[in-house]
Amino acid sequence: MKLYVIFTLAGTEYALPVDAVLQMQSFTGATLVPGAPAYVAGIVTVRGLVVPVIDLRVRFGLPPAELTLDTRIIVTESEGRVVALRVDAAREVLKLDVDKHQPAPSVVSERASGFVHAVHALGTRLLLLMDLSKILGESSHDPARASLVDGTKARPQLPS
Amino acid sequence: MTATADLKEFIAAYLVEAEEHLAVANAQLLAVESAQRKGDTNPRAVRETFRSLHTIKGLSAMVGVEPVVAIAHRMETFLRDFDRSGAPLPLPAIDALLKGVRGIEQRVAALGRGDGAAMPSDELLAALDSLGFAAVSTAPPAAPLDLEPALLGKLAPFEIEQLIRGINAGKRALRAEFTPSPARAAEGMTINSVRERMAAVAEIVRVLPRAVPVSPGAPGGLCFVLLLLTSSTDQAIAEAVGIDVDTLHRLHREVEAPILAERGNVSPEMATSELEEDFSDAQSRRGVVRVEVSRLDEAMEGLSSLIVTRFRLARAVAALNKRGINTRELSEIMVDNARQLRDLRAAIVRVRMVPVGELLERVPLLVRGLRRATNRAVRLELEGGTAELDKSVSERLFPVIVHLVRNAVDHAIESPDERERRGKPEEGLLRITCGARSNTRLEITVTDDGRGIDRAAVARKAGRNTPNDNAGLLDLLCIPGLSTRDIVTTTSGRGMGMEIVKRTIVDELGGELEVSSELGKGTTFTLRVPLTISIVDAFSFECGEQRFVVPVAMVDEIIEVDSECLAQVPAQEDGGPTVDIISRRGVAVPMLQLAQIFRLAAAEKYGRKAIVVRRAGAPIAFAVDRMLGQQEVVIRPINDVLVRAPGISGATDLGDGRPTLVLDLVALSTSLNVRTGASRAQP
Repeated sequence: MKLYVIFTLAGTEYALPVDAVLQMQSFTGATLVPGAPAYVAGIVTVRGLVVPVIDLRVRFGLPPAELTLDTRIIVTESEGRVVALRVDAAREVLKLDVDKHQPAPSVVSERASGFVHAVHALGTRLLLLMDLSKILGESSHDPARASLVDGTKARPQLPS
Repeated sequence: MTATADLKEFIAAYLVEAEEHLAVANAQLLAVESAQRKGDTNPRAVRETFRSLHTIKGLSAMVGVEPVVAIAHRMETFLRDFDRSGAPLPLPAIDALLKGVRGIEQRVAALGRGDGAAMPSDELLAALDSLGFAAVSTAPPAAPLDLEPALLGKLAPFEIEQLIRGINAGKRALRAEFTPSPARAAEGMTINSVRERMAAVAEIVRVLPRAVPVSPGAPGGLCFVLLLLTSSTDQAIAEAVGIDVDTLHRLHREVEAPILAERGNVSPEMATSELEEDFSDAQSRRGVVRVEVSRLDEAMEGLSSLIVTRFRLARAVAALNKRGINTRELSEIMVDNARQLRDLRAAIVRVRMVPVGELLERVPLLVRGLRRATNRAVRLELEGGTAELDKSVSERLFPVIVHLVRNAVDHAIESPDERERRGKPEEGLLRITCGARSNTRLEITVTDDGRGIDRAAVARKAGRNTPNDNAGLLDLLCIPGLSTRDIVTTTSGRGMGMEIVKRTIVDELGGELEVSSELGKGTTFTLRVPLTISIVDAFSFECGEQRFVVPVAMVDEIIEVDSECLAQVPAQEDGGPTVDIISRRGVAVPMLQLAQIFRLAAAEKYGRKAIVVRRAGAPIAFAVDRMLGQQEVVIRPINDVLVRAPGISGATDLGDGRPTLVLDLVALSTSLNVRTGASRAQP
């Protein structure tokens, strides 16, 4: 059994393993970064780190949504990168039986460009399991360039 | 904690200390060499070298780095013999010793990388072993010195020789005494301050601690005997140092006394002299703490959040004020708080600062190595100055200086024959100057009097047009991957590493790089870098309803955009940004619209203010909507690939809890590939 954060995006429910999540917080807007990919909503400061926010709707090719009181960002950490995901809502943490994951039908994973790697049926609910590394895109993180202006060392990891 | 982890922690301290002593050994050996080339001896430097190696050996044995122990031990043994004999070191021996130091450096570096230290090569050990045979033991000279045997016995032969040489040269040899006490310390009189002041009026040959009976005048039961050579009068010395004139005694004995015989008996005490020396040394180093940079970063991090909190406080006060609440007292506290934060910031920044001299101290060794490898005759002139710069800046600068020095000696300076043919002095000149240009910038120049850069040849090589100015030449030299070898032989060899130099100076440090070169005469590279990074004084401004900041150090000027001084440049076909020309005091400056570059919704076609920066010396203006103010900001790096973009060097928090982008307008203009046309308009 493993813990998952459940969030919704355009009426669909997705699951993200808790150990990839640093924290969740409400979202009131991010600072736009000129030149960043369209699916990057901007940057926010989380625990002193400057973190990019991926708008998952845009990333998944869904129509953009207005900010609501439910809008959340989920701050994730994987492979030394800290990236926040903007989602419509995130309210639940569930224990899921890993053995009951079903591989995503190839039609699904192709349509979702590999973002979804498995599905999990929970009663009548259907949860899509996300592949975080696919969503973050290329991880060619280059620490040599990371801290050009600031004299301090790049800190790839947050203290947990 | 396991034993290995403990050892690891210990290794870090070992590395720091070993590097420090290696630097000393290098510098002192070079001092010995330069003295001996002038036909002089420098026994003190020999002794310093010995002590550094002695310490390195001890440290290495403690952490079990046998290869280093093996090298250091041989060098130490050899140096001790010479230290005792006072004879000059043979030049080939200095060479072997420098190789030994290099061998230790390589192994220490390997440990630093987490690799093991390789055993020294037989060749190196043999070279060091053979040194022993060269050691000659000369008898100590007679010492007509008026000094009690207990003290005399603690003097090394070279020190006695130094005193006698001084006397023979007409100087007066004196003995001064200083007894430390809490009362004197309160007046600022410690052995260190006495040493310092004494050094200004006399040559200190040796400082010896001596036990004395505890008395009100000497509560510590300790007194220091300073042996001096000087041309000043007793009165002048007593005044300068602040000691009683009757604590000074002449050492010079008119009649030769049979001290030599006594000397022979005190040799067991010789062995303890080292220990005593260490004691007085420990005194002089008291009050110095070695700190890892990461700990300073932690302190800086803490300060950063304080500054951000202060911004929030200021906003809260302003909000209260708006609601008509009297905030006078609060405001006064805020003013105090601001000053305290500034002081604290300055204090932390000062801790991180290292003298420029530290950056340059290894250059003589580098030049020496190059001189031998290339058979060039090179004279090095260093002008270090007293500026201090942030450790992290210094660390980034050093490889750059190495590149420039190597290029100059390797390729720019001609062979002695060729120089003679060209009517130049046989010895080439390499001159490096370092000086603070303002409170925030350091200027470094690296000048050679070599063959200069053949612009046409470099341009041919790069497949470009021959540049007609220095800025154009620099652009050419910094083309990534510009072949090094061909240019090296046919022109000046400025290709190598220039791309890296530029990346470090301009992109990483936010500095400037310039070159000026005259064919046949020589080349000068000028580097200007900020002394510190991470917290900077910045202008904040608004553009397209978004706020940005730009470091003040990067800004040349902020000007009003007056539509009467504007000229539109016909639109380019390549879809690049529109460039206008604005006249600034009669000089045409290209101007870009920041809102357009960043695709922001601009209120008007033209921003009302323009920020002028210099790219390779030429001005370029960025129009923005309005300036908001000037404040100190903490720059946080933007690490993730998703949000790294040219011209954005980090983010800061102005107190609203949201990141504000920190712009590097120079890098931005470079990324847009807009030629700074004003360089032609300038005189």
